[in-house]
Amino acid sequence: MGASAVRPALAWLRRLEDGLLVLILAAIIGVAAYQVAARNLFDTGLLWGDALVRVLVIWVAMVGAMVASRSDDHIRIDLAARFAPAHWRRPLARFANAFTCAVLGVFAWSSLRFVLFEYEDGMIAFGAVPAWLCEAILPFGAAVMCLRYLMHALAPR
Amino acid sequence: MIWAGLALTLAAALAGAPLVAVLMAAAMLGFLAAGIDLSVVAIELYRIVDTPLLVALPLFTYAGYVLAEAKTSERLVALVRSLLGWLPCGLAVVGFIACGLFTALTGASGVTIVALGALLLPALLQAGYGERFSLGLVTTSGSLGLLLVPSLPLILYGVIAQQINLGEPFTIIDLFKAGVLPLLLMLACLVAWTLWTHRGGLAAPASNSAGAAAQGGGLWPALVAARWELPLPLVVLGGIYSGYFAISEAAAVTAVYVTVAETLLYRDLRLKDLPAIAVKAMVMVGGILLILGVALAFTSFLVDAEVPQRLFEFMQARIESPIAFLLLLNILLLALGAILDIFSALVIMVPLILPVAVGYGIDPVHLGIVFLANMQIGYFTPPVGMNLFIASYRFNQPVLALYAACWPFMLVLLAALLLITYVPWFTLALVR
Repeated sequence: MGASAVRPALAWLRRLEDGLLVLILAAIIGVAAYQVAARNLFDTGLLWGDALVRVLVIWVAMVGAMVASRSDDHIRIDLAARFAPAHWRRPLARFANAFTCAVLGVFAWSSLRFVLFEYEDGMIAFGAVPAWLCEAILPFGAAVMCLRYLMHALAPR
Repeated sequence: MIWAGLALTLAAALAGAPLVAVLMAAAMLGFLAAGIDLSVVAIELYRIVDTPLLVALPLFTYAGYVLAEAKTSERLVALVRSLLGWLPCGLAVVGFIACGLFTALTGASGVTIVALGALLLPALLQAGYGERFSLGLVTTSGSLGLLLVPSLPLILYGVIAQQINLGEPFTIIDLFKAGVLPLLLMLACLVAWTLWTHRGGLAAPASNSAGAAAQGGGLWPALVAARWELPLPLVVLGGIYSGYFAISEAAAVTAVYVTVAETLLYRDLRLKDLPAIAVKAMVMVGGILLILGVALAFTSFLVDAEVPQRLFEFMQARIESPIAFLLLLNILLLALGAILDIFSALVIMVPLILPVAVGYGIDPVHLGIVFLANMQIGYFTPPVGMNLFIASYRFNQPVLALYAACWPFMLVLLAALLLITYVPWFTLALVR
């Protein structure tokens, strides 16, 4: 595998994700706080502000989940893995990660179809922003997580 | 085919696949069996966007992480101590109350033990409390504020319950009010038990001891030290209860306020520390929100398949009285609380249990508090209560020592739980 090309790309993706998380959270805080101040003090507010904030919440959730899958840091019920003998742990982890990769792959594909339907419908989310653009984070995030779990399945920690 | 898929999913869950993937697979299999296109899972997940309340989740979580990284815990303990430290067994009382407040403020994410335990444990030991009692106190109190605003599980229960069409509407504010008396009851039980076990006067008054980091001075210095954080509960509680802000707005104000207070006013944190804190907080939010979104899809499949309704009919044919149902529920939830973390338990169990409970005539607000009170005990129930492991790691103690330290506290809280469960007055007095 061309590790020399993959490593910088992964590092770049990592910085992008971290930066995005901070940026989106700052935007949520900024817009939501502005809306409160504007409404209570001047009785105005951004027309699309609330809609934007709610879309940003799902973006922050997806990017946060992408970051969590970097180190396989998701909430789980690992009864068997916790009580299994030590030499079982790696095969169990491989199986769990391969399963996760497959499920996320199916979800990435089916959510991509959802986004494509919406693209054809030409729905508007808020302002001039089309709905499909807001929804595009679902297949993108799922695809990134799917690839990460493929890597975890090939080389469980 | 579908059953083989379900068996595979269950096996993957036990082997440690993330809950998101497990729920996603379950929902997909369900929709496949019903002949519905799989893109419905994405559509249901995207419904998160239609829930304004969820905006509060990232904001409160971020604020909680900032508070946990700053020196808020020290100021909180000093303040509560200067107010209540003079009481008999004062330091233990201070521990319960400070933990409860801190847990609520930081969203019940397990940071209480990390942030407050290090302050309280040495102080308790120095004040003459036994090691076992002290360990038990800091471990079990790490989930004590679960019923108080703005704890995340409380908000999540409200979100999930409102997604299910119940016929008995309640507002999220009702839920917030409902948690107050049960929490006070738990505190009262814990304090009464502490006084009883220390009736020989074993513990020296806290004000005489030289509790290292948590040393409380007078009331005035403690108030002055906490001056920028004191308005915080007012912003959160006052804003929400007065109807001045929506909950998500109170969360936004809290996030801004906490950021300004800890970086510019206290200078506990530098501005360049914030991105790392934000990333940590959002990773947790991402995990929880994604599970919630997928669980919404799973729930809508369950409702389509009339699973809750069939479950209710099945139950009603066997159990007649609501009391018997609640007793079974307590046992089930305690068992679940010991093996599932609170967020998983909420998204999986509430959609199933809530319609059944409403069928038995149980108030959804009452059920929510009972559910969370059960889960609060689950945090430190062996074998896998989360707080046991956090405490084991934090205090460098074997998990078995923590089992031994926690069980008396568990019995006390179980007694309080029974009262909360069978005397709905505690939850509903402030609501209805």
